[in-house]
Amino acid sequence: MTPTAGLPDTRGAERAPGLRGWLLMAPLLAWLGAFVIAPTLIMLVYSFCDRDELGQVVFTFSWSNYTRVFDPTYLKILLKSVYYAAITTAICLVVGYPVAYWVGRAPERVRNKLLALIMIPFWTSFLIRTYAWMTILKSEGPLNSLLLYLGMISTPLDILYTPTAVVIGLVYSYLPFMILPIYGSVEKLDNALVEAAFDLGAGPVRAFASVIAPLTRPGIVAGVMLVFIPAIGMFAITDLMGGARVPMIGNVIQNQFGQARDWPFGAALGMTVLLLFAATFWLTTKKDPSAT
Amino acid sequence: MARKLSGMRLLNLLLGGWSGLVFLFLYIPIVLLIVYSFNASKMAIVWEGFSFKWYTALGREALDHVSGTKRSPLVESAINSVTIASIVTVFSVILGTAGAWLLYRYKFPALRSITTLVYIPMIIPEIIMGISLLIFFKAMSLTLGFTTVIISHITFCFPFVLIAVQARLAGVDPALEEAAMDLGATPMKALFLVMVPYMMPAIISGGLMAFTLSLDEVIVTYFTRGPTSETLPLRVYGLAKVGLSPILNTISAVFIVVTVALTVAAESVKGLNK
Amino acid sequence: MKRRLFGLIFLLGIFFGCKEKPAPTPAASAGPGPSGSGAPTADKPKPGKELNLFAWSEYVPQEVIDGFSKETGIKVNYETYASNEEMLSKLLAGGTNYDLIQPSEYVIEALVKQKKLAPIDWSLVPNFKNIDPKLKGLAHDPENKYSVPWMTGTVGIVVNTDKIKDPIKGYKDVFQKKYKGRIVSLNDSREMVAWALEASGLKSNDITPENLAKVKPMLAEWVKLVKVFDSDSPKTAFLNGDVDIGVVWSGEAALLYQNNKKFSYILPEEGAHLFIDSLAIPDSAPNKVGAMMFMDYILRPEVSKLVSEKFPYTNPNLEARKLLTPDQLANPASYPPAGERETFRDIGKIASEVDKLVTDLKASN
Repeated sequence: MTPTAGLPDTRGAERAPGLRGWLLMAPLLAWLGAFVIAPTLIMLVYSFCDRDELGQVVFTFSWSNYTRVFDPTYLKILLKSVYYAAITTAICLVVGYPVAYWVGRAPERVRNKLLALIMIPFWTSFLIRTYAWMTILKSEGPLNSLLLYLGMISTPLDILYTPTAVVIGLVYSYLPFMILPIYGSVEKLDNALVEAAFDLGAGPVRAFASVIAPLTRPGIVAGVMLVFIPAIGMFAITDLMGGARVPMIGNVIQNQFGQARDWPFGAALGMTVLLLFAATFWLTTKKDPSAT
Repeated sequence: MARKLSGMRLLNLLLGGWSGLVFLFLYIPIVLLIVYSFNASKMAIVWEGFSFKWYTALGREALDHVSGTKRSPLVESAINSVTIASIVTVFSVILGTAGAWLLYRYKFPALRSITTLVYIPMIIPEIIMGISLLIFFKAMSLTLGFTTVIISHITFCFPFVLIAVQARLAGVDPALEEAAMDLGATPMKALFLVMVPYMMPAIISGGLMAFTLSLDEVIVTYFTRGPTSETLPLRVYGLAKVGLSPILNTISAVFIVVTVALTVAAESVKGLNK
Repeated sequence: MKRRLFGLIFLLGIFFGCKEKPAPTPAASAGPGPSGSGAPTADKPKPGKELNLFAWSEYVPQEVIDGFSKETGIKVNYETYASNEEMLSKLLAGGTNYDLIQPSEYVIEALVKQKKLAPIDWSLVPNFKNIDPKLKGLAHDPENKYSVPWMTGTVGIVVNTDKIKDPIKGYKDVFQKKYKGRIVSLNDSREMVAWALEASGLKSNDITPENLAKVKPMLAEWVKLVKVFDSDSPKTAFLNGDVDIGVVWSGEAALLYQNNKKFSYILPEEGAHLFIDSLAIPDSAPNKVGAMMFMDYILRPEVSKLVSEKFPYTNPNLEARKLLTPDQLANPASYPPAGERETFRDIGKIASEVDKLVTDLKASN
């Protein structure tokens, strides 16, 4: 019953939706229209407005919020956010892929259990979990005690409130969002194909590079998207585990709606991030989205 | 042949070992969290000795709350969170799976634009999403409450399901469904007997992600909640100021232990796999 | 196929239609009922049945709410926030119609300027007499028309005296090179700029572009020395042993002192400022009479005492202070020596410059 993952056959895919198709798509389109497009449009309008003493919107038209976005400080912060997101994504991919593969190849009856076990740690509160990490990493914490006891270090390591701590926190939080989509692709890998690759004398590396990776590419792409995109806007982890010393783009935007009292500028920053993403996405995806 | 197979076994062994380490990594803070739920101190982060008192305190609060003797905001918010996350998961799975299937099945000019739109809730900063949804709900004269929180959560959760299922469907021959229909299945049957089971692993992954995201969201929830729809993460976030009490660890620990136990014990999960 | 779609629409219908019911509040909170200030009866105005309280998390103890409900029969819905700015953004974006909010002084001033607060009818709040006269008629509410002080506090220095033996007197003693990597600071640009202004001999409210330029080099040095910026729970870094000195809210300091007497609290000699968290009634409140009854209720000494027990801030209610234990009154962070202290004023649009300044300094770090 398992369908084989052959090459995409365009013959059957060239189907116009027709009336029934559009009707079926109506709930999705309505949802996107009401709760994604409409609020985004509100913010788009705001981003061209001026502000009053409380940071509220005064309806006028100007580009000034967008010219301010290209201040070197904000560009630097945006780059830094992207940089952290990229590192997180790369580590999550390297760490998570083998796990997804292993779970996908595990006996059928335990797969779903293993998946759930990957997610369950995140059913605790973010703050409690993060405070637990902070307790582990602090200078007088269990990790340092262990390393000192084992004689691996002679003075406690300063990990908490460093970029290392931030990366640990980010990887921890996003890892399941890499593993789960990849699992979806690994699970449908045909065992026979993998075995054939080995039988033909390919080592694990060759088998992975020439058979496994290309076949699970959609899962990898999905995992990368699900980690990278949300990680750009993340700031709670950098604040708590990094001591809030390095502002992220998420902090800057949040502040505009808070202390800085400049909603229109916050909206402009948000819209810029959105447009940068949309442009990148548009340029890098092929016309055929089934290859995404 | 034997040599090749042992190569594969070695690989599986390595993969298993690596996965074990990753599971350890995922559960390290959870172990610490559970240890601290037995903390005698009033403050969660200061260890003052072993005590069961937070478990008895939580038990009492829960009993009083359930029996209606005394309202417990903590227990109430926890129940709210789980309820909201469950409803959000059901709707996200339906919307996301149907969306992925339709976007895979049909081809039309606006396809790429729609796919881009699906990503917007993921890229847009939470505060912007929260405030703009709040303004939108006000404009629609919707009363803030469970409904508005659930709508907002579905909006940022369903893309995760959609993208996971889309990845699963990528590269699948659309003729698969047609073949089923050629064999006499109605379109409904073809969908539910062929496509849905095929998508199931991704649906489960997506559902798990949606549940998790909804359960732990703070910013969008803050803006879209009403006066009585408090969730646990909001409560915890507010409590950080006063000093997190170990009772929060206790409630997390109970939840984790129960869900892990249920997951490991559940035989019904097998059914989904078939 | 269509059945499925109808099913979905049907489900949505159920869920939109009925989901609101299980919530304990009926729709009553939404519509501004006939009650409230709109229709006062001849002699005594009647309160509405529900009170939507929008206040800091945990700041209003459950006992207080329960006591008030029991006495008046008014149901209190307590919605929370974690900072003034959070409250303001939800209020302005149009959250629920709140009856009572709990802003700090500079936010009250801003809201008064925008005509977003309702004046209080003091005949309904006779217990206002219990409030410390020194806290009446301050700049943010000069005629005492709009606000009732809830708790007050200061911003000051906490030192772990086990680790730091040098005498610490002011901001300049905290931000020294030798303490690099041992300092915690509030993650609040307005506060940090105020400290630098005070340390430079300027007034904390004199925020002008020139003064910002003047303190910029000093702040640039300070930012480099700080290990942790945290406004929500700076006590965590102290308790974990990751920092030994810092500038924090007095409430945090009081909790640290309760935990261990080695944490001492010092008001900076360059000038300390006072914050006043108060209760106020938004202009759009449907149940203004109920809100005023609540104000009067919490001004009773025995009720106000309950708040002090939970929150070690300075209680502005002089009658309530008489009921506190000597131990509570001896906490130097809760009841520091009296003195003249500035409060923050609303700074309007320049707030964005203040934020930009600190963001620039942090980003170039």
